[in-house]
Amino acid sequence: MIQQLSIFIQDEIGSIAGVTAILKQSNINLRAISSFDTPNFSILRIVVDQPEKAKELLIANGFAVTMSEAIAVELDDEPGVLHDMLEIIANAGLGLNYIYSIVYRNGKVPLLILNTDNLQLTIKVLKEKGYLVADQEDVVL
Amino acid sequence: MIWNETKECMSRDEIHNMQGARLRKTVSRVYHNVEFYRKKMQALGLEPGDIKGLEDLNKLPFTTKQDLRDNYPFGLFAVPQSQVVRVHASSGTTGKATVVGYTRRDIEIWQECVTRVLAMTGIGVHDNIQVAYGYGLFTGGLGLHYGAENLGATVIPMSTGNTKRLITMMEDFKATAIACTPSYLLHIAETLEEEGKLDKVNLKVAICGAEPWTENMRKEIEGKLNLRAYDIYGLSEILGPGVAADCDAHKGLHVYEDHFIPEIINPDTLEPCKDGEVGELVFTTITKEALPLFRYRTKDLTSITYDPCECGRTLARISRFKGRSDDMLIIRGVNVFPSQVEAALLEIGETSPHYILIVDRINNLDVLEIQVEVEERFFSDEIKSLERLTKKISNLLQAALGLAVKVKLVEPKTIARSQGKASRVIDRRKLI
Repeated sequence: MIQQLSIFIQDEIGSIAGVTAILKQSNINLRAISSFDTPNFSILRIVVDQPEKAKELLIANGFAVTMSEAIAVELDDEPGVLHDMLEIIANAGLGLNYIYSIVYRNGKVPLLILNTDNLQLTIKVLKEKGYLVADQEDVVL
Repeated sequence: MIWNETKECMSRDEIHNMQGARLRKTVSRVYHNVEFYRKKMQALGLEPGDIKGLEDLNKLPFTTKQDLRDNYPFGLFAVPQSQVVRVHASSGTTGKATVVGYTRRDIEIWQECVTRVLAMTGIGVHDNIQVAYGYGLFTGGLGLHYGAENLGATVIPMSTGNTKRLITMMEDFKATAIACTPSYLLHIAETLEEEGKLDKVNLKVAICGAEPWTENMRKEIEGKLNLRAYDIYGLSEILGPGVAADCDAHKGLHVYEDHFIPEIINPDTLEPCKDGEVGELVFTTITKEALPLFRYRTKDLTSITYDPCECGRTLARISRFKGRSDDMLIIRGVNVFPSQVEAALLEIGETSPHYILIVDRINNLDVLEIQVEVEERFFSDEIKSLERLTKKISNLLQAALGLAVKVKLVEPKTIARSQGKASRVIDRRKLI
């Protein structure tokens, strides 16, 4: 499993830039980023090379941040690969909350980040089907 | 017309004598029937006989909204409950309502006062009046209703909430008068304009109150709807609507001094203000049976004049309200204290998150938005849980305030922290 940070972002111009500015100043490398919007606010989810440090810095700068775990799965770059994996999760009766991806991995295959109702069970069913589930070290590089 | 000339046009001497005599009777009755006041007077070393006339009024203790709350619900009533024929209530600062009661005689006096107001605006038996204040625990709807019936006008008891139906009936029933909040009337005017119906309605008079408004708003209402608009004032603790209202001269609101004694005091020193000087309005009721109150502090800021009015009435006039001496907001006729918001927010955690109330007037309707900082402890990774939080806050506030509230979650530490006295309110309504 990997660590991701979720940050509450209000609906204002420049609010995401406020987060990236802090990461840049401290030389923290972003591995993946995703934002989900609602009419009034959004949640920014990021994967970084130094999650603990990033969390501390963001909280010190007035952001509401939670660190949570997510599953990162290696997927080959071929049509239908994502579908096959999603079907396994659906067949296991697991609800998918969101997915996003890490594309850049120094030549390795991309990682797909996902969150479900039951992370342990999801990892179990994916591993049974031969999927490679990454750890935090795999995103740090 | 002047509905009750003998009461509305007395000489100042006659008013003084009548007030003195009624005050003496009230003090004696209250002393013997209301423990709260008896104890307060005893603590001051006062006996009923010490209040001989108007000149002794300032010996009596003040009463505040907190006193009503402390004696919730019926502790200040001066009659047995069998004589109370009706109660009304308004929301209180900490969730507890302020309860007021009326005997049959109180209801008669109330309707007499409202009838005087309506007659003063020129309404009569040939008029159809739409009462578009809320009916129910709020005094606005039923207060205007009884007064209009007593006058002999035809009452259309609309209550609030359905502008389309109100406009249909305004047109079909040929309404000639309307009673509602001034901001709602402007909203009605705009809706009529949009639907191209401005020339299809035949309103002559509007009786507006329950929220502060300005002379400019009056002119705007009168211009748009081609009618005469009048200001009516009241508060449930003293009576409800009909404590005071303005006449054709629009030079202040006449107070029905045969039932209520007004005073203007400096809210800090509690000393009386000079005539014309702005201070807090204080009322003593001198005919109320169920809930007589001594020197009730309204927290409304105004000034007073006893000069005779060009309309012929000799009753004292209070000027348009300049604001409040506390932090109460009046939003769509509903009294809102920031502390109510605080109390409601406490229900979502052990301490209240930082919040700010933003009041705005959009399309002439007051809108209350409450911004709440999302703290670590409320924040989870999921949007649905944040939406649940928004919904929960909004439901709690709606229940506490009796008013629809828009809740906006904002980032931590984005709401300005004030030095000293916390400023919890931004009021963007321009009352010019």
